[in-house]
Amino acid sequence: MNDEDEAYILLLLSDSNLPTGSFVASAGLESYVKHGFASLPGSTTTTFVRDNLASYARSALPFVTDAHRIVSRFRSPTIITDAGKGAESGDRETIDDLEWTTTKLAALDDLYDTMTLNHIARRASKSQGVALLTLFSKGFSRPSGFSVPSDAETQNIPELRINGLLEHFKVMVRKEGTHGHLPTCWGVLTAALGLSLERSQYLHLFLHARSLLSASVRLNNIGPYGAQQLLVHAIRPLVATETNRCKDLRSGLLEVPGQEFDSTEQGPANTWPLGEILAARHDLQHSRIFNS
Amino acid sequence: MGSQNMPLIPNIHAGGGRIVLSSYGSSHAVFSELSSTYPLKLLSPRISPSGVAVVYILSYGGGLVGGDQVNLSVDVDTGGVLVLLSQGSTKVFKTRPEERLASVRIKRPTEHMATPASMKSPLATTQTLTFAVAAGGSLFLLPDPVTCFQAASYRQIQTFHLSRTSSLVVLDWLTSGRKSLGEEWSFSKYYSANEIWTDGKRVAKDVMVLVDDEVDPGAKLPPRSLRDKLAPYSCYAMVMLYGPLVQGAIRDMTAQYDQISVLKSKVPAEMLWSLSPMTLGEGGGAIIRVAGSETEVVKKWLEQALLGLQETIGTDVFRRAFA
Repeated sequence: MNDEDEAYILLLLSDSNLPTGSFVASAGLESYVKHGFASLPGSTTTTFVRDNLASYARSALPFVTDAHRIVSRFRSPTIITDAGKGAESGDRETIDDLEWTTTKLAALDDLYDTMTLNHIARRASKSQGVALLTLFSKGFSRPSGFSVPSDAETQNIPELRINGLLEHFKVMVRKEGTHGHLPTCWGVLTAALGLSLERSQYLHLFLHARSLLSASVRLNNIGPYGAQQLLVHAIRPLVATETNRCKDLRSGLLEVPGQEFDSTEQGPANTWPLGEILAARHDLQHSRIFNS
Repeated sequence: MGSQNMPLIPNIHAGGGRIVLSSYGSSHAVFSELSSTYPLKLLSPRISPSGVAVVYILSYGGGLVGGDQVNLSVDVDTGGVLVLLSQGSTKVFKTRPEERLASVRIKRPTEHMATPASMKSPLATTQTLTFAVAAGGSLFLLPDPVTCFQAASYRQIQTFHLSRTSSLVVLDWLTSGRKSLGEEWSFSKYYSANEIWTDGKRVAKDVMVLVDDEVDPGAKLPPRSLRDKLAPYSCYAMVMLYGPLVQGAIRDMTAQYDQISVLKSKVPAEMLWSLSPMTLGEGGGAIIRVAGSETEVVKKWLEQALLGLQETIGTDVFRRAFA
């Protein structure tokens, strides 16, 4: 993928009007405010974003990364060409690959589920994850009449492979064969679209932070211009810092034994127990406008 | 100690320990193995007439110092009931370069130390506890909270291997430090992982890391301390409940939780708690988290919330857990 293609994908994915379900999620902010924490001295929307983002990055980014790695491997497999093999065995290779990929994705998704011990966060994560898969199939597929010119038929094969994989994964989620959590689905979607891992990680944290600011606006804590100011000046270093801190973290599932992986240093973790409690208490609010 | 066979001390490294609770017939249990090496100490094993076995997990000098490595492995047989307690808060002293005076320090095989990441912090105090609870067996891990002193670095890794009919209660909690000395969330690192496997499938994994954010100097961010993040609370607890023996307790707490209705409040409450079912849903387990302004506040709440456990472990043992 060239720079221009990647820039265009970035523009598309960062559109705040994308139907990803993030506008009904406040990731605990509404509960935080309702419980009186916003009135603590020194507490601002920015400090909430900072504490929340740090914990989210440490717990979710390893899953974004691994899902992206899995799908990238599927997207451009190390081609095992054997002149002796016929088309038939070639087909079998592809099927095994699809199975390997979906099995790994489901295992990753399941690990995220068992590590997200907060039913509100689990619920929000699943609905946003599924929304991303739907976005891919409905919003990124070619409209009728826009088929690729036939002379480009050979280049078109990766696209078919990827579409097949995502369709397969979506059906798994629908049949409850896997959970379809947001970090997994984000990694899958961005790798499917050919976005680099680095950009995928950064954009994921940026979108998370931005949706917290939108939630803050809807909760009337800050105004729309104030939110924009924060986005320009305060949020950027936070997103950069957390991306940088967590970009090399892994879920641990893809690491083969003997490889140097220390889960206590490089694995997912929560870093903000207060945020966990408040987020899990979301549904206890007498009245609420968000889903999380 | 109440060990029947020869203790397997020669096979255990410094800080190692092993507890095996075997049961014969209904409600007759014995420690077929109970051994530990310095600085770990397993004390006063008692088995009550009703078959509830209690072991205190202690460390010499009342705490752990930088670099201490504790490795405890515990097996509970079918039908066995084991309660593990501590005596007072587990104190984790500051990481320091000197060795313990008694100097049995860790000439361990390098398997756990092999990775570069852990080499960076070789003086972190680490407790690794592995539990296997057979079908129908139950384990109650109800220690006092961990207190990390200023600049201490602590790592605790607990793994529970259960069967679908095993029962488990894990209390894992920490305080902000020695408040009387002005220490509040001023340790250097706290890491705690609890992982539950049922019949070979992972059902829950909680990992928490508390560390002061190292601010990237290029990012121009104001400092944000752990204390700022965790205010206004100075004690955090987590309880994992799993299995048939705790279903009643889970139901009661869920009913109590669902009664709560949060209205807009001006200041944070003195204590807060949350309850989430484990992902298996009905008949599985639950996770409870508690935060309180003082350790005593949290302890009182836990004592009240877990009162139902008395039925299983007895009033006397229950009281000792929350003494």
